[in-house]
Amino acid sequence: MTEPATDTVTDAETRQRRITPARLRSTEATLLAVVVIGFAALSVTSGGDLLRGPAIQTVLTYVAVPVLIGLAQMVVLAVGQMNLSVGALGGFTAVLMGSMMADAGWPAVLAVLAGIALATAFGAVNGLLVVFTRINGFVVTLATMTVLIGLQYRVVGTRTIADYSPGLKAVGAASVAYIPVILMVALLVAAAVAVFVRRTVPGRWLLASGGNPLAARLSGISNDRILVLAHTLSGLIIGIAAAVTVASAPGVNSSIGGDWLLPSFAAPIIGGVALTGGSVAVLGTVLAAFVVRLVDVARAQFSLDPSWVSLVVGVVVLGTVVLTQRRRRRG
Amino acid sequence: MTLLADPDSETQRRPPAARRGRWVLRALTGQRAGLAVVVVVLIIVFGTLRPAFYDSRLVVFPLLRDIATLTVVGLAQLAVLSIGHMNLAVGRMAAFGALVSGFSYQVLGLNLVLGLVLGLVAGAAVGALAGLIITGTGVNSFVVTLGLDFALLGLVTLVYGQFTTLAAFTVKPPGMEELRSYSMADLCVGDVCGSPAVPQLLLFTVVALAGVGYLFARARTGREMLLTGSNATAAELSGIPTKRRVIGAHTLSGLLSGLAGFMLAVTAGSFTAGIGSAFLIPSFLGPVLGGTALTGGAVSVIGTFMGISLTQVIQQGLSMLGVGLESLNIYLGLILLVALSAVRIRQLFTRRRRSS
Repeated sequence: MTEPATDTVTDAETRQRRITPARLRSTEATLLAVVVIGFAALSVTSGGDLLRGPAIQTVLTYVAVPVLIGLAQMVVLAVGQMNLSVGALGGFTAVLMGSMMADAGWPAVLAVLAGIALATAFGAVNGLLVVFTRINGFVVTLATMTVLIGLQYRVVGTRTIADYSPGLKAVGAASVAYIPVILMVALLVAAAVAVFVRRTVPGRWLLASGGNPLAARLSGISNDRILVLAHTLSGLIIGIAAAVTVASAPGVNSSIGGDWLLPSFAAPIIGGVALTGGSVAVLGTVLAAFVVRLVDVARAQFSLDPSWVSLVVGVVVLGTVVLTQRRRRRG
Repeated sequence: MTLLADPDSETQRRPPAARRGRWVLRALTGQRAGLAVVVVVLIIVFGTLRPAFYDSRLVVFPLLRDIATLTVVGLAQLAVLSIGHMNLAVGRMAAFGALVSGFSYQVLGLNLVLGLVLGLVAGAAVGALAGLIITGTGVNSFVVTLGLDFALLGLVTLVYGQFTTLAAFTVKPPGMEELRSYSMADLCVGDVCGSPAVPQLLLFTVVALAGVGYLFARARTGREMLLTGSNATAAELSGIPTKRRVIGAHTLSGLLSGLAGFMLAVTAGSFTAGIGSAFLIPSFLGPVLGGTALTGGAVSVIGTFMGISLTQVIQQGLSMLGVGLESLNIYLGLILLVALSAVRIRQLFTRRRRSS
């Protein structure tokens, strides 16, 4: 807590050693190297096609949502919780925004804001349920996930809502110097999360509570409130991810969000976030989302089966946890 | 991963039998007797509203077949919950086991039993791998099984794509079709035959229930798993080989997942990569509703069967009452939430009563 620039609250004497700032940086440096080398290699193998503006834009467009859902998972991991309802909440919010615009005729701004507010509220409900039932957040969010999948289907059924605000879709497709606006939104959110966790008092509480709940309680922090805060924040970021999806996807249907859960964990885990709580790695999470995206680009370039992505990402996740543990033990 | 709660709220407190079922809330809170009552009441209610609910061939038989499969899924999760771990890859381990079974039928041309055995071995091997990684690195079971889930998802789909054109093994060895559609009525001892409503597939579940029940209630290994789950340090200090018990629990989980995958493949009639994709939620619903602690150290084997029965009876009943498939999820989630909250409410009540 004395070093405001670090991402971790270390209490090495009482608990197993956490990732120290130096190691965190090394994780991020490794990831950055992987991104740069991977991108360079793919550019070469594509004969330079990947370096053209529109190709870069395509690559970057599909990073926005993985970055956001990774961050949404990261903030709950920071307090030692997990949120299984990431995909279901995102999918539900996305179809609700679409339905509000297409069916109820709401203006885009209003629908997006209402959707984000609702997602935030659902996040708060997750947190309150965890605090109230005193049951593992895993099972609580498993239950809310089930409910939300049902609600999503009830809103959209089997149809695809595509006939909504052209203005919003223009924003989703817009780019400045081939950098998509939605990616900028995602990076802005990442920066905001970083500032929140590093510079603000509630942000520091979040890490303190996640790192050592007992010590946090003794220093006057309400762990319950922090839990609700983390889940609410997660809901807010998911709401933004849903808005980005509605803006950039050609349409929304019941399958939106169905494949979010695993990437949401992959990004923070590869990015170096400890699952026991007490640490965040905003840059690592963002870079990890890029790494996963590059795997997907490579798959498309060599026209391999989409299953390769899952296989590679799974092996990378397993490899990351094993390597991190090795390095930590040696240190 | 455990909550910041005061420690005694996490412990499983079982009120004496005499207090059981005094009010509905308590009946819903994972007590096995209460759970059984709720299931029976629901069956009567649904049966009264829709007499077709009792149709043995069209409703009861498939219902029991689903319950049979999902109970094994629940037991697979229960095996690792006993040591305080989770297995997020239950579905994919089932898919992997089914893949190996289907492969042995279609490519190797093995018979029904040999393929089943190979599938079980494959499931157990993946489970053991998860256990080895967890004990070897000390990493949370959640992450390891999540990573494994990713990897298996890719691997299984790739293998199906490699060996088949329609992404499914469809060769049925002799006996598989019979296993799918035969009921106890086809199993006679002399002149006495079983009920046509009870599928033969349920026999697998009975064996699994008996085996897992024996393990945790009577066998030394099972008791040691539970001790490892309730306090790993204490277990280690009392000379229990905790690492081996952890690996054992994950191996058992993989084995049971493989069995569930095989059962689902038999029910569906073909081996596909989609097997097990819907297993994750029921795998937790069953044990949790049945009274298994998520923190480890307490399991309820028969409760898992009842928890699964409850969810399946509700699903079947609601869909016969015309509730759309999409709304079923909402109700299932709400039931889980109510059950979770009820456990907490009961704890608050018992504490208040004790302190007054």
